[in-house]
Amino acid sequence: MAEEFEPKIVAFLCKWCSSAGSDLAGVSRMEYPPNVVPITVMCSGSVSPLYIFSAFKRGADGVLVSGCHPGDCHYIKGNFYARRRIALVKKLLDYIGLEPQRFQMSWVSAAEGKKYTQIIKDFVQELKPLGPQTKLRSNS
Amino acid sequence: MVNLEDLKNEAHKLLKEGTVKYIIGYERGTNGLLPIPAFIKNPEDVERLIWDPTCVFNLTRFLVDEKRRKASEKEPDERPVGVIVKGCDSRALVVLLQEKFINRDDVYILGVSCEEAGVLDEKKLAKTLKGKKAKNIEFTKNDNFVVMTEDGKTEISAKEILAERCLECKANFPVIYDILLGEKVKRKSDKPFGSLEKFESLSKEERWTFWKEQLDKCIRCYACRSVCPMCYCDECVADTINFAVTADTTAEEKAQKIKWAEKSPVTSENFVYHLVRAIHLAGRCIDCGECERVCPLDIPLRLLNKKLEKEAKELFDYEVGFDPDQPSLVSSFKDEDPEDFIR
Amino acid sequence: MKRTGVFVCHCGINIAGTVDVKKAAKELSKHKGVVHSEDYVYMCSDPGQNLILDAIKEKKLDNVVIACCSPTLHETTFRNASKSAGLNEFQCEIANIREQCSWVHKDMDKATEKAIKITKSAVEKVRRNESLEPISIPVTRRALVIGGGIAGIQSALDLANTGYEVILVERSPSIGGHMIQLSETFPTLDCSQCILTPKMVEVSKHSNIKLMTSSEIQEISGYVGNFKAKILKKPTYVDADKCTLCDECTKVCPVVVSNEFDLGLTGRRAIYIPFPQAIPATYTLDISACPGLLPIACGKCADVCEPGAIDFDMKPEIIEEEVGAIIVASGFDLYEKEMMGEYGYGKYPDVLDGLQFERLLSASGPTMGKVLRPSDHKEPKEVVFIQCAGSRDPELHCPYCSKICCMYTAKHAMLYKHHVHDGQAYIFYIDIRSGGKGYEEFVQRAVEEDGVLYLRGKVSKIFEEKGKIKVWGVDTLAGKDIEIDADMVVLATAMRPSEGAEELAKKLKIALDKDGFLSEAHPKLRPVESVTSGMFLAGAAQAPKDIPEAVAQASGAAAKAIAILSQERLFHAPTVAKVNVNLCTGCGMCVDVCPYDSLSLKDGKVEVNEVLCEGCGTCSATCLRAAIQIRNLTPLQVSEMIKVSLGG
Repeated sequence: MAEEFEPKIVAFLCKWCSSAGSDLAGVSRMEYPPNVVPITVMCSGSVSPLYIFSAFKRGADGVLVSGCHPGDCHYIKGNFYARRRIALVKKLLDYIGLEPQRFQMSWVSAAEGKKYTQIIKDFVQELKPLGPQTKLRSNS
Repeated sequence: MVNLEDLKNEAHKLLKEGTVKYIIGYERGTNGLLPIPAFIKNPEDVERLIWDPTCVFNLTRFLVDEKRRKASEKEPDERPVGVIVKGCDSRALVVLLQEKFINRDDVYILGVSCEEAGVLDEKKLAKTLKGKKAKNIEFTKNDNFVVMTEDGKTEISAKEILAERCLECKANFPVIYDILLGEKVKRKSDKPFGSLEKFESLSKEERWTFWKEQLDKCIRCYACRSVCPMCYCDECVADTINFAVTADTTAEEKAQKIKWAEKSPVTSENFVYHLVRAIHLAGRCIDCGECERVCPLDIPLRLLNKKLEKEAKELFDYEVGFDPDQPSLVSSFKDEDPEDFIR
Repeated sequence: MKRTGVFVCHCGINIAGTVDVKKAAKELSKHKGVVHSEDYVYMCSDPGQNLILDAIKEKKLDNVVIACCSPTLHETTFRNASKSAGLNEFQCEIANIREQCSWVHKDMDKATEKAIKITKSAVEKVRRNESLEPISIPVTRRALVIGGGIAGIQSALDLANTGYEVILVERSPSIGGHMIQLSETFPTLDCSQCILTPKMVEVSKHSNIKLMTSSEIQEISGYVGNFKAKILKKPTYVDADKCTLCDECTKVCPVVVSNEFDLGLTGRRAIYIPFPQAIPATYTLDISACPGLLPIACGKCADVCEPGAIDFDMKPEIIEEEVGAIIVASGFDLYEKEMMGEYGYGKYPDVLDGLQFERLLSASGPTMGKVLRPSDHKEPKEVVFIQCAGSRDPELHCPYCSKICCMYTAKHAMLYKHHVHDGQAYIFYIDIRSGGKGYEEFVQRAVEEDGVLYLRGKVSKIFEEKGKIKVWGVDTLAGKDIEIDADMVVLATAMRPSEGAEELAKKLKIALDKDGFLSEAHPKLRPVESVTSGMFLAGAAQAPKDIPEAVAQASGAAAKAIAILSQERLFHAPTVAKVNVNLCTGCGMCVDVCPYDSLSLKDGKVEVNEVLCEGCGTCSATCLRAAIQIRNLTPLQVSEMIKVSLGG
C-alpha cells in the first residue's frame, strides 16, 4: 500500500497572538500533526499576497495565515487590513480553480492553544483527500 | 452628441493660448479605421483630431510616460498636458490622482462622453464584417452602428461589435474633467458583471482547465503591463525583467531583489505573474480593457481583473475611480468587512 | 558568504525525546553557509552558552541560530551571550523547536524533519539580518495634563511633587471640574469643597505647575518623550495679578446670563467669578455675554475697577510647549437634557438632574443649602429620585451603566432627609450597584436610618398636575402600579464623555470606544495607557467612575508618565520600516494603513519616523512595489524562509 499523502503546510503566524497561541499548545502538550512549518511574522497585516503565491509555487499543499481576533491586534488594526487583503486573495485563488481548502485564514489568540491545534488537525484532514497541490507548483 | 468641431475648437484655443503644452488625443492611422494616439503641439494640427467609436485607447497611459520624461528634464515646461478621456479613462485618471502619481494641476482634462454608445471591439468587428474593411462607422439612435464598407452600408446591432466592457459600463461619461463634450447620458447597460456569470458557473476544475489553457499561452511579452496606466511602477515586483538597477543601486539593494516569478513562460511562473498583477490591480483596475486588447495571445485578462472589481464591490462596497480622495481598497477597511471565511 | 553557527538544544528530553537532535545538527551542518553545528543538553546553561561563545570566536561566526524553546523564553539570553562574544544582537536568531515542534508531535522522524526546516528557516533569516542598535530618543522631562478636574489635579500634583514640571490645561476659567460643584461625597459625607479646595490651592501655588485656564489644546504633534503642544489661551480680559476680587465690576454689569456653575439655577453677570474659591482667583469676562468690546459698548466694569485689572485689549495667544508625556483627564458631562423628554426634564422646573440637586444641597449653593423647589421656593415634601435616567438603555439612550448614580442617589435621598426631616424620598431603581469600600453599608443606612423607600421598577410617565409632579411607575417586586404626587423629581442622568472629547481625541490621535469615552490600550492590563505611547488616561474621560477611582487612575497615570520622564533617553526596537526611495512613487497607501502615524509623504516619497514605527509591517504588505520593508523581516527573508520551510 502506498504511503499516505502528507500535505506540506506553511503557516504565517502573527507574533503576538497566533504564534503565542501555538506556543501555548506546546506548553499544554496538545498533539497535532507535524505537517505545518510555522513562519512567525510581526502581524497578519504584514503578510503580502506575494508570500502566499510564492508558497504555493514552492509546492505548499496548504497555506495558513493566522492573526489576532478583531479588536485584539497588537498593532491596533493590522488584522483588519489582513482580513480584507486575504479575502481578495482567497477569492482570486478560488476563481482560478485552486481548491479553496488549500488557503485558510484564522484568528487564534494567545490563549487559544486548543483552537490552533484543532485548526491544524482540520486543515491536514481536509488537505489529505486533495492530494499534492500541483496546479501552482513549480516543476523546477 | 460630441461635436468633433467643438473638440477641435477647444483644443485649438488651449494650444493657441498656451494653456497646455500639448494635447494627447486620437488621429486616424494608416491601418484602416484604427486610430493612433496623436500628440498635438501646434494649434493648426488640431485638424488631425478625431473622435468616434474607434477611439479605444486609454490615453492616460501617456501621462505616466509624460511624468517620467518631465522628471528627467532639467528645465521642464510646467504647463499641464491636455488629454482626451472617455468615461473609463477618466476613472483611470482618478486612480492616478488618488495614488498621487499625477497632480491635478499637471493635466487639463478634455472629457468626451461615449453617451449611449461606447467603443468598438476591433476583433468583433472584423469577424462581423468577414474580411471587409470598414470605411466609416456611425452610431444611430436605435442602438445600431451604420458601417460603411466597400460593399456599401450595413447596419449592425451595437451589441455585436461594441467592446465587452462598454456593454457593462457603469458610467460612460467622464467623472472628472475640465471641459466636457457630449451629454452625461448613460448607455442602457447589461449587468455590470455579466461577462463573469458564465465563467463563474463553471466547476472548479473547469475553471482551472480554462485558466491553465489561457495562461499557458502567455509568452510574457508584458504588453498587458506596458499598456496599463496602473502599471506605472518603475520596477515590477512580479518579475525580474525590469529590475531598475541604476548607478546608485547598492549591493544590498541588488541582493534584496527577489525573483517571485522566473522569466520562463511556464505554468507556475505565468500564474504567479498574472496573480500578482490581478491582486495588485484590485481596487485600481477601472476596466479600460487595454490589457486584453493588446494581448497577442488573446488571453481574456479582463476576466481576472473584473472578478476582483466585483468582489471589491460585493464584499467591501468599494467602487473604483469615482473619488480621488477615498483611501485605496487595500489601504482601508470597515469594521463590518466580511470574515465568514475566517476560522 | 556569511559564516553561520547552529546550536541545537536537547532541553533535557524535552526536545531530544521527540527530535533526533544529532541528526538535526548533522543535517544543518550541510546547509549552505553553516560552518558550525552542534547539539548540547541545555544550551541556556552556562556551559551551553560557553559553547556558543567559543564557537563564535574560534570559527569566526558571523551569526548564530539557537534551535531551542520559544523566543519568548531565551531570545534575550542568547542575544546577550552573542553580544558578549562581539556579535550584534540581531546576528542571533531562535528556532522554536520545542513549543512549536517537539512538545506537540510524537513521530520522531517527522518531528525531526520539521525541526530541521524550522532551523533552516531561522538560518536563512539570520544570514540576511542587519546589525542594528536600539533607536535612542532624548526625553523632554515635563508633562502636559489636559483637564483640571479632580483627576487632572491629582495627576498634576503627583508629577509636580515628584519634581517634574507640569502644564495643566483647563478650558474653563477655573480648575475644580465637576467635583467642586458637589455638596458632600459618598460614603463618608465629607464636604466636597472642603477636601478639594486645598488641592486646588496647592496647584496654584506649586512652583512646578504652570496652570493655564481658559485654554484649549489646539494641536499635538511629536511622539513619546517629545511631544509638542500648541495651546490656545483665550483672553479673560481681566489681569489675574491685578484683580483684588472686590466684586465692584459685577455690581455695574448690566447683563445677566444663566450661571453654569449652578447649572442654570441662578444667574451671573457677564463679568464674574465662576465660584468664590475659583483658582485662579480672578474675575473673568464672558465675551459671549458682554454687550461688546469692538467697539466697547458698555465698559462700565472697567470704569469701576480701581486696580485697573480689566483689559479689553487682551488677545488670544497660542502658546507652544514641549513635553515628554501627556495625561488626558477631560472628564464627563451629564447626558443632555433634551434627550430626556420622557421625564419632563427641561419642561418642568422641579425636575432636576443630579448635579442641580447637588447645588441645592450645597451650603454655598443657590438656596444656601436649603432644599427648595426652583419653581416656588417651597420645601418639597415628597421627592422622587429616578436612577438609570439614560443609562442602561441601549434602545433609546446609553447602553452602559454610569456607575456612580446608585451611590449618589442614595446620598441625595439621605441628605434630603437630613434637610427635610418630615419629607419622604422615593427611589426608582433597576438594581443597586454598590460595589466599593463602605458603599453597601451606605445604601443600607439610607434605607434603615433615613427611611428612603426603594421601588424596584421603571417610571412610565411624569406630568404636572395642580402644582404637583405626578409620577407613574411600577413596583415590580410588589407587582403594583405606583402613583406619587411628588414635589420634586431628581434624575440620575447618565454620564457622557465631556463635550469636545471626540475632537480632542482626534488631535491627540487616540482612540474612542463605542460610547465615545477614550480607549485604553488594554481593558485589563493597560487601563491607564492610551494606544499612543506616552499618552495616559485619567478619570471619567476613560469611563464613568467615582472620585476615589478617578484619583487612583490619575495617580496611576502620573506614575506611568514618571516612568518615561525619569529616563534621560528612551530606547526603541530598531526593527522598523525602511524605504527604498527609488521604488517609492508616493502613492501614500502605506501612510493610510500605518496604525502609528509614523509614515508621511515628503516631496513625493514616504518617510519613516523611526521613533513612532512599531515594526508591524502592514505597510510592507500594502505597498505594491516593495518600496517599504521592515528591517530584519524583509520580503527577501520571508521568501527564503518559505523556500526552506517547504524543503527547498
